[in-house]
Amino acid sequence: MIEVEGLYYSYSNDDNFAVKDVSFKVAEGEIFGFLGPSGAGKSTTQGILTGLLQLQKGNASVAGYDIKNISRKMFNKIGMSFEQSNVYSKMTAKENLSFYSKLFDVETRDPMELINLVGLGGKENMRTGEFSKGMKHRLTFARSMINNPSMWFLDEPTTGLDPAIAADIKDIIKEHNNKGVTVFLTTHNMYIADELCDRVAFIINGEIRLIDSPKNLKLQYGKKLVEVEYGQDGNVKKETFSTILQEDKDLLNKIIADKEILTMHTKEATLEEIFIKVTGRGLA
Amino acid sequence: MKLLSSFKKELILASRGFYFYVELIFALVILVVLLFAIPQNFSSTSTEYLHFNLPQEGREIFTNNILENDLDGESEIVEIEAGGKTFNAELIVTDESEIYIVDSEEAVRMLADSEKVIGAVIELNNNNQLHYKYYLQGYESTRFKNLISILFNESTDVLEERINNQDVRPLSTDYEPLSDRENTIPPLVAFSGSLMGMFIMASYIFLDKKEGVIKAYAVTASSVWQYLMSKIFVVLLTSVVSGFIIVMPVMGFRINYGLLLLLLLTTGFFASSLGLLVASFYKNLTNAFGVIYLLLIIMMVPSIAYFIPGWDPFWIKIIPSYPLLQGFKEIILPNGDTIYPLIVSAGFLAVGIILFAITNIRFKKTLSV
Ligand SMILES: Nc1ncnc2c1ncn2[C@@H]1O[C@H](COP(=O)(O)OP(=O)(O)OP(=O)(O)O)[C@@H](O)[C@H]1O
Ligand SMILES: [Mg+2]
Repeated sequence: MIEVEGLYYSYSNDDNFAVKDVSFKVAEGEIFGFLGPSGAGKSTTQGILTGLLQLQKGNASVAGYDIKNISRKMFNKIGMSFEQSNVYSKMTAKENLSFYSKLFDVETRDPMELINLVGLGGKENMRTGEFSKGMKHRLTFARSMINNPSMWFLDEPTTGLDPAIAADIKDIIKEHNNKGVTVFLTTHNMYIADELCDRVAFIINGEIRLIDSPKNLKLQYGKKLVEVEYGQDGNVKKETFSTILQEDKDLLNKIIADKEILTMHTKEATLEEIFIKVTGRGLA
Repeated sequence: MKLLSSFKKELILASRGFYFYVELIFALVILVVLLFAIPQNFSSTSTEYLHFNLPQEGREIFTNNILENDLDGESEIVEIEAGGKTFNAELIVTDESEIYIVDSEEAVRMLADSEKVIGAVIELNNNNQLHYKYYLQGYESTRFKNLISILFNESTDVLEERINNQDVRPLSTDYEPLSDRENTIPPLVAFSGSLMGMFIMASYIFLDKKEGVIKAYAVTASSVWQYLMSKIFVVLLTSVVSGFIIVMPVMGFRINYGLLLLLLLTTGFFASSLGLLVASFYKNLTNAFGVIYLLLIIMMVPSIAYFIPGWDPFWIKIIPSYPLLQGFKEIILPNGDTIYPLIVSAGFLAVGIILFAITNIRFKKTLSV
């Protein structure tokens, strides 16, 4: 569905690259997660793939269309949800979707169905200027489904939403994927990425560090971890140790012998912890 | 079809916005000013106060002479006030002036002073010759003063002969001038109808830029040019409506509205493409304001030349609003040239298309995520 090869992009048209030598493939029916800290180049990559940003260097094709020469027809197959919601504030939710649905050559979905799907039922005749941030974001997300896309780009679809609604959005994504929709998902939210993605790419400073499935990553980096809380000089300290690394095992033994242990759990490494291990940086 | 949907959407947005009404209200205000504040013709009648310090006979000769030009052939006895005093006067109204004949020199002097107009006393001097005494306001030009003195030193026969021997050949024989009210229409239509389009278009774009909706449009199967064109349609609609609001009540059915429509559409297209192009370089209205303001000022220069007939330097003719004004003028002139507005329309259409093409490319290139 997506093939990217040696992609570079610079906003200033020099060698100050926001995206550097990025290559990856997304198979049909896959949910591909693009994970990285703020400013890593996630939105930039997605912008190039959707034709918002001009391809500068490298090759890319999406849904069988070459990005060098984008045909308007490609957009009949593509849906895109924006990181920053962008709907007409002077039009109602329903008017926004109705208008948008007329811009495609393919069969489109009923605006009301989509409005209900994202939990905005009853608000359809409100002008979106009166919507909260999260409501606008959900409408932007709903709009991206209007043309029944087979290739779905989602830039931070759950950012700024409360956990219950974020979970609903996650379910909607999963449902569509089950029907065969390919998803390119950009997110900070490791739990959602973990649950949804078939494969994830870690991107940092414009470069991809690693691409693999969450399962493989956990097998490879995770193994078992032990989280220990212990008292020291009247304070409570919390540390995590690997059960495989000899160094960690020795340290753990010492703590058990010398300190007062408060709690001790074994746990699986999260995607976030793996990310930190691989890139040396957090996601925040 | 997509273009039509976009146009419908733009109409909805415009009708819920602010600028749409600003332009229409602006047109109505201009109309009211045209109809009620600007006279049909700027006053060209003058008021004069005369006193004949002559024997009864001479007085009658002069009075009857003037009376021949009176509109109804009869004078009227009126009372006028000046300096707290009331004077009796004989009023003769000709199509060029209102002449008051008063019965004392004192009255002439006081009226000239309080009404700020010319007064004259005609009397006989010691040699029994006519003597003219003028009360001027002090700011009259030397030329005018010379004219007054020469007028009576030369015999009127000589002057008349000279005037009759002057050969005056009009350059155009079928030229009918516009009334002053009609003459102010072209600059007003050019501004409220066509050039305001540039400003309003830029405002529409900046509203959209703020909301980021153009990005959403860019990832549909519809082209960016359709998005831009649908906006132009809305601006054209308002400029045609406001143009007609101003022109129709004043000109009635005397002009070719097909031509007016064509010129409003083509110049509106040019102006809104220019507005689009300017908007493509800036993030918001505040940043673009300097350039828009500068453009508006430049476009206004030809309308200054329009009202100063003698000032018409070459460089003014290359400012787009020059042919714009002349085009509108030809349309409302009773015997105006029809070819000229057509050529001007073609020119604006051609330049508009070029600007639009550049703008379209710029908009595609300056999208962001
Ligand atoms: N319009 C722009 N002009 C100039 N530089 C930009 C622009 N947009 C992004 N950048 C730069 O490009 C780099 C990548 O930005 P990008 O928006 O792709 O990051 P991101 O991974 O999507 O971050 P976030 O998680 O905050 O959305 C950043 O260094 C950013 O400063
Ligand atoms: Mg981003």
